[in-house]
Amino acid sequence: MNMQRILYGVVGVLTGLLVSIVFFADFNQANAGDAAANKSKAEKVYVPYGEQDEYYMFASGGHSGQLFVYGVPSMRKIRTVPVFTPDPATGYGFDDKTKEMLGGYSWGDFHHPAVSETGGDYDGEFLFANDVGNNRVAAVDLSTFHTSDIMSLPNMGGPHAGVFVTENTEYIAMPTRFARPLAGEYAELDKYEEDYKGVVSMTTFDRKSKKFDLAYQIVLPPWSYDLSDAGKKMSKDWIVMTTYNTEFATTNLEINASQNDRDYIVMINWKRLEDEVANGNYNDVNGAKMIDPRDVPGAIFAIPVAKSPHGVDVTPDGERFIASGKLAPLMTVFSFEKAFEAIKSKDFKGEEFDIPVLPYEKVVEREVDPEGALGPLHTQFDDKGHAYNTMFISSEIVKWKVDSGEVIDRKPTYYSPGHASAAEGDTIEPDGKYIVALNKIAKDNFLSVGPSHPESMDLFDISGDKMEHLITAPTDPEPHYAQIVHRDKIKPKKIYDKDESRENSVWSQDDARIERKGDEVHVYGIAMRSKFVFDAKAERPDAVTVKQGDTVYFHMTNIDLDQDITHGFGINDYDLNFEIQPGQTNTLTFKADKAGTFPIYCTNFCSALHQEMSGYLLVEPK
Amino acid sequence: MKKNLSNTSAALMAVSGVLLVVSIFLPWWGMKFYAPQYQEGLDIIVYPTTLDGDIDIVNGLNHYIGMAEFSNASFPELVFMPYIIGGFAVLVLIGAVLRNKKVLTGLIGLYVALGALGIWDMYRWLKTFGTDLDPKAPIELEPFVPPLIGENTIANFVTNSAFSYGAYLLAVVFLLLVIPLWKDRKL
Repeated sequence: MNMQRILYGVVGVLTGLLVSIVFFADFNQANAGDAAANKSKAEKVYVPYGEQDEYYMFASGGHSGQLFVYGVPSMRKIRTVPVFTPDPATGYGFDDKTKEMLGGYSWGDFHHPAVSETGGDYDGEFLFANDVGNNRVAAVDLSTFHTSDIMSLPNMGGPHAGVFVTENTEYIAMPTRFARPLAGEYAELDKYEEDYKGVVSMTTFDRKSKKFDLAYQIVLPPWSYDLSDAGKKMSKDWIVMTTYNTEFATTNLEINASQNDRDYIVMINWKRLEDEVANGNYNDVNGAKMIDPRDVPGAIFAIPVAKSPHGVDVTPDGERFIASGKLAPLMTVFSFEKAFEAIKSKDFKGEEFDIPVLPYEKVVEREVDPEGALGPLHTQFDDKGHAYNTMFISSEIVKWKVDSGEVIDRKPTYYSPGHASAAEGDTIEPDGKYIVALNKIAKDNFLSVGPSHPESMDLFDISGDKMEHLITAPTDPEPHYAQIVHRDKIKPKKIYDKDESRENSVWSQDDARIERKGDEVHVYGIAMRSKFVFDAKAERPDAVTVKQGDTVYFHMTNIDLDQDITHGFGINDYDLNFEIQPGQTNTLTFKADKAGTFPIYCTNFCSALHQEMSGYLLVEPK
Repeated sequence: MKKNLSNTSAALMAVSGVLLVVSIFLPWWGMKFYAPQYQEGLDIIVYPTTLDGDIDIVNGLNHYIGMAEFSNASFPELVFMPYIIGGFAVLVLIGAVLRNKKVLTGLIGLYVALGALGIWDMYRWLKTFGTDLDPKAPIELEPFVPPLIGENTIANFVTNSAFSYGAYLLAVVFLLLVIPLWKDRKL
């Protein structure tokens, strides 16, 4: 009897369990991890409407001079941000502020973007860029995605080897690529070794005033400085740069700069130089504080490296730097610790151009030479101790272990990658999720557009052991390098703040007015859906009458404080167009040298009555 | 005067007086505008003392249909409302001290009258704004009266009007004033 009761009891409990499992257990849960891994490539890159990409990719626009912003993983292009080149679509280079910033230049060669860092990690506030074409440095404010400052740098010859930022953005550094006499003065090529110089510009950036300052410049031998990186953590006071043309070739560099078996990596202690400059140990050269590091003990060293290296990249822990061989197809891993020891024990292998040379075998940790991998250019990192190298000639990405040199995976790219950019892949804390190969050749990967081809970008998922190629996307010329930043780090404004104390701003249509000062006509106007008001009291508030030869200032404020309500402002036949973002005040200045009647109209579609948003500029003949 | 309300009732009245004062700082009513371009919605929020929300944007859009601009200046009520509420709260607190049913009944009567007046006033404004449209406006609309509560569709906009926290407090105040009358009906 008792047994039977117990048996019923047990059966009852088991039945209950079974029922609860059938109804409530989630059998899918055990497979949730696999489900993510089993996502198809299409699912991995598809970002449905209403959702947004996880990462921003800030890619250089090369000789377009502009910044391209993409979303990752969708690889959709989100925006072109004008930086070094005028852009009528946004009025960049037309309104007074951006026109002055561009300084009359009509192009730039935007190479290597660097996002501002704090403690070696992106802080997402600003992005810096170099102009190899015209020796400039620019800052883009990532709260507005507008360029906030451009500075021209004296004594430079195409600063290809930048920009990179030091651990806390103390400096935005740009080493020159072409040796050139200081200030670009005339000097015969026969006097190359004596009169030509390499220069590194060390600029600082004030985040409050959003302005650059040239702190000092470092004068170097006339080698070509190719790429560079700043140290991190234990190596934070140092910068490393690759060189080529230690042959001092002055013609046909393709052949003549490729003769030496070894070129150099130059190590510079910027902290020491900073102290020396603070002590007044510099020469004023064309407005720059120029310091020769060879005069400062312990400030500069050279390390031999395999023939014509290209990229040099510091590992996330800051303990090593990896040079990519380009012409010698191997990656060389150097140890900062070993370098510091050699420096400490003054273990030098002679001098080159008065720069102490550290013995290669004392500083090198290993050479990594995957079979058939040719043309290594650049290194990126993940969060698991792996390095990812682009191979220009064999057109692939090679994943290898920094600690052992073991090659983990190789995947083709389409075709010939220059840089690659991994998610936060050059910070102290890479994310290890994606890498994008920035290819130089696209051939017929996309619908043909004739002999002019786009460049291409390959997105790889690198979260697993093996890399997975997800998608290839076209891009305009030319992405040299990019920064992939998690979206949580970027905090853009939706509109400009209503700052009533702002110079020339007008916040009510009733306050719009025209003031004449001699032959200057100042229009303090507003733009709003869907009209311009230049003079509130006039019979026609949207007409401006001036005399031929007057200088006209349109100070326009967009008082529509509403997201995405941008107003444009074009003047017929005057070749002028600019833009005012919500809450922004911009000034357009020009000489009304043509007499006649010129329609003014809103060029950025703003509202249902955008077509009616117009007025007239009447220029009375002399 | 006869003290024919219990201690509990007096306490409830005191609480309702305090809640009235609190309500001055809360929104009483709001209207939310949705459109294809404004999925996130635009807000008009009415406090007894001020308007809040996306007033400038709503005004900017309303000019297309010729609706007058609204701002704090267009509603004189916003100036004296806090005094009326504060004054009534003082009366309720005095009533709590007097603890007299007749006084309380009088207060409830006054409260209902003021409430009705307030609702009529809001309706009057909604009607004025919705029907007194500028005939020269680019978009011609039939005059309309936006509802005090509920949904309405005007062109590409769907509006939702509703009372808000402050108004809920006013309802609680009403209950707190009525409960003593019922609770102490045999005293």
